[in-house]
Amino acid sequence: MVEVKGLTKRYGQNLALDNVSFTIEEGAVVGFLGPNGAGKSTTMNIITGYLSATAGQVTVSGKSILDEPGEVKKLIGYLPEQPPLYQDMTVKEYLNFMYELKKTRLPREKHIQEICQLVRIEDVYGRLIGNLSKGYKQRVGIAQALIGNPPVLILDEPTVGLDPKQIIEIRTLIKNLGQNHTVILSSHILSEIQAVCHRVIVVNNGRLVADGATDTLAHDFSPEHRMLLRAEGPEQELVAAIQSLEHVVDAYSTGEKEPGAFEISIEAEPDADVRRPLFRLLAEKGWPMLALKNTDLTLEDLFLRLTSGAAQDYAAQEGPEEALDNTEEQAPQRKEEDE
Amino acid sequence: MKAIFKREIRAYFNSPIGYVCVAALLALYGFYYFQVMALGSTSYISAVYSTMFTFCMMVIPIITMRSMADDQKNKTDQALLTAPVGVTAIVLGKFLACFFVYFVASTLGLLPAAAMNFFASPAWGEIIGNYLGTLLYGGAMISIGVFVSSLTVSQIIAAIGTFAMSVFLMYIDMLASSMSNPVLSTLVEWISFNTRYTTFTQGMFSVSSAVFFLSVVAVFVFLTARRIESRRWS
Repeated sequence: MVEVKGLTKRYGQNLALDNVSFTIEEGAVVGFLGPNGAGKSTTMNIITGYLSATAGQVTVSGKSILDEPGEVKKLIGYLPEQPPLYQDMTVKEYLNFMYELKKTRLPREKHIQEICQLVRIEDVYGRLIGNLSKGYKQRVGIAQALIGNPPVLILDEPTVGLDPKQIIEIRTLIKNLGQNHTVILSSHILSEIQAVCHRVIVVNNGRLVADGATDTLAHDFSPEHRMLLRAEGPEQELVAAIQSLEHVVDAYSTGEKEPGAFEISIEAEPDADVRRPLFRLLAEKGWPMLALKNTDLTLEDLFLRLTSGAAQDYAAQEGPEEALDNTEEQAPQRKEEDE
Repeated sequence: MKAIFKREIRAYFNSPIGYVCVAALLALYGFYYFQVMALGSTSYISAVYSTMFTFCMMVIPIITMRSMADDQKNKTDQALLTAPVGVTAIVLGKFLACFFVYFVASTLGLLPAAAMNFFASPAWGEIIGNYLGTLLYGGAMISIGVFVSSLTVSQIIAAIGTFAMSVFLMYIDMLASSMSNPVLSTLVEWISFNTRYTTFTQGMFSVSSAVFFLSVVAVFVFLTARRIESRRWS
């Protein structure tokens, strides 16, 4: 649906984007992750035609933004970082203005009403935008992007500055929108990407540093795969029994956490899954398993790792293409899980 | 273009700025027409319009200052530029909205003449000629103002910049008279708004001057569009 190839953007001497490429399939919800100034907004501005790239090309549904800007812009609904709202208009006036500006052909009243219901701004419909709270402004911004029912939605930090309740509401909204739109969403909040997106693209210093399914990315990046087990039983025997399991590289106790129960850190071989043998072992021995948890990198750790230089090695070793292939295999699986 | 035009008109008349500009010009039209009536001769009507030339050139920067600058400052240009609308259409919408405010003021400025019509017979040919001239140089000045406004994000700088341009264009013919080089002085006179406009105050419709003013509009609308376009590449 959206194809970005070799995108480079220079602001004078400053290289904002360096050869960024990715493809987004129809119906995907993709998170664009990176620290401030990484090039997220620049990429989005180029895809939507607000900025031009120094090199590289963007095609949406097979049409190039340079050759057919009008056609491409019709396919995209865009919420910039700062919602482009006219403070001196009411919500009603503004949405009607955007309706006309986008040359929408859908039935006007019905279409605008539907959008207002979807983003829940009916109760401020007649109010001046300048007087609305930040949360409502953000929603009017999303409403504006939805006008004309474009198949692709590009949302630049849609939840920034909202309170936790509003954040949850907007996330739910984006998830719902993801059912019949292709959504690209940027954020520097990781839990947000984790909550909403199937796939995450990480950029840092204008370069694409990782691209993969949200769930598997953390796993792939972990240099070692550890689990924390909490089980009731004699400490020494527990550790010894686990160490003797196949594919277990290392196991050690971290101490007694509950009366009679110990926590044991287990490291397995990268491609092995030792959870089932572990369960059987404990069941055989009659040691109740109280907890088992994966201590792969959280997306938070991953993010720090990726944006602090360690990732450059990864990118150099395996190349972003590899990461891309990885995604295409993983993404459908993830969808099935969802269902 | 229509959507932008409508929005801009609404913006002018939702805030005091549209009313203030129209009211200021109308008050001045009324005052100078009053003087004409006091003198008791419609032959002074041209004097009304040549005085109004100065005032119009001063009010136009106020009308145009927000047109492009405001959008850049509030980032609302992102909505315009990512919508399926061409850059020229955006600029034309903005230009026409500014021109509409000016058009309203100029047209209502004919009211004193209409009132006079009940008691006397004003020289309508002269008045209409002056009115058209006013619209033409106004349009040209507005296109320049819109262009200056696109160069900055600050309305104040846009207003001062446009004001400087209008003062320059008003007094450029004085410069011409002090020039010894005949080629230069002809050239300067050729671009002088005042000289161009003077033919209209004599009640003549000068096609060459009309073409001149319309060309200025076309050139500056084009330049503004290029300026907006160039921002994408910077």
